[in-house]
Amino acid sequence: SEIRSSFTAIKANIQARDPVRTLSILSHPHSLHRVQSSDKCCIIHKVFNFYVDKVFKHCQTEDTYVNRKISSIANSFLSIKRNLEQCHIQNKCLCGQESTEKFKQILANYEGLNVTSAAMKSLGELDILLDWVEKSR
Amino acid sequence: EDARLPPPQNISILSTNMRHFLTWSPVTIQGETVRYSVEFQGEYEREYANESWIPIGECSLITATVCNITEDISATVAYSLRVRADGGARRSEWGTLKGFFNRNTTSLTPPLMKVTADGYHLLVELEDMGPAFQFCVLYWKKGEESRMQQKMVKEVSSTVHLDTMEAGREYCVKAQTYVDTINRSSSFSQAQCVRAQGDRSVWL
Repeated sequence: SEIRSSFTAIKANIQARDPVRTLSILSHPHSLHRVQSSDKCCIIHKVFNFYVDKVFKHCQTEDTYVNRKISSIANSFLSIKRNLEQCHIQNKCLCGQESTEKFKQILANYEGLNVTSAAMKSLGELDILLDWVEKSR
Repeated sequence: EDARLPPPQNISILSTNMRHFLTWSPVTIQGETVRYSVEFQGEYEREYANESWIPIGECSLITATVCNITEDISATVAYSLRVRADGGARRSEWGTLKGFFNRNTTSLTPPLMKVTADGYHLLVELEDMGPAFQFCVLYWKKGEESRMQQKMVKEVSSTVHLDTMEAGREYCVKAQTYVDTINRSSSFSQAQCVRAQGDRSVWL
């Protein structure tokens, strides 16, 4: 809920910066909601790593308030990523064929845009991710 | 005359019940107003964003020697904090908090509560301490401590109904807070006891 409130505070600002409305990073061609439950932990682990490793660092803005909220989200993602790593180490977060394919698609969508546009679009799609993660609990 | 101001000293954190404040000693210059600016750096910034620092708008060029950093310390990771002074045309180096601050070290105090007997109903009102807080409430018939009952209260919106009491019996209640994001609890409050209406009739 902390991530959700930080994102809600800057959602309009971030989504207004997304020039490419006809594309989605997380939902193209298939929605996250089609992922089987057995693969959910793996997808969540991979996607959180993706945001921490690739997305947030390219989301700097000229607005210090927005930057503070992005920092809040990024540090919360880092904290969750650490917890998920424990699951992965204990083999409770195995990756099947479907999650591997799905994550490849997300990376392909991301790399199909220039890095700043891709990062801002990914950040703007956080509500898609949060909705799906909360539904997967 | 040394062009630089000395950096703020005695930088420390006061953190109670998930509210975090950065404090420091004032820098004094004869005849000048000194102002301070605060920045923070989370673990993410240290490891993934070139150790960048982020200014806190509400604590930029302030005269106070305290800054509420609660809103920015919003993840359970290690944060660095720093503050510098500006006075006249002079500016200090950054003074940095020794070590890191992680919100899981906040001190948690027992909740304020008010226990009432409304006829035969045992009620408790709990202090609203913010969205991060849940409450574990224990209640029992006085003298029957071994048969304690527990109720988890996730949201404090109104009075909580704990039990329907036996006529004339005395019931006691105590509570502690629980913060899910740091997985810690406070100690328990003092027990408060109330008596249900009616007299204790003795069944023969």
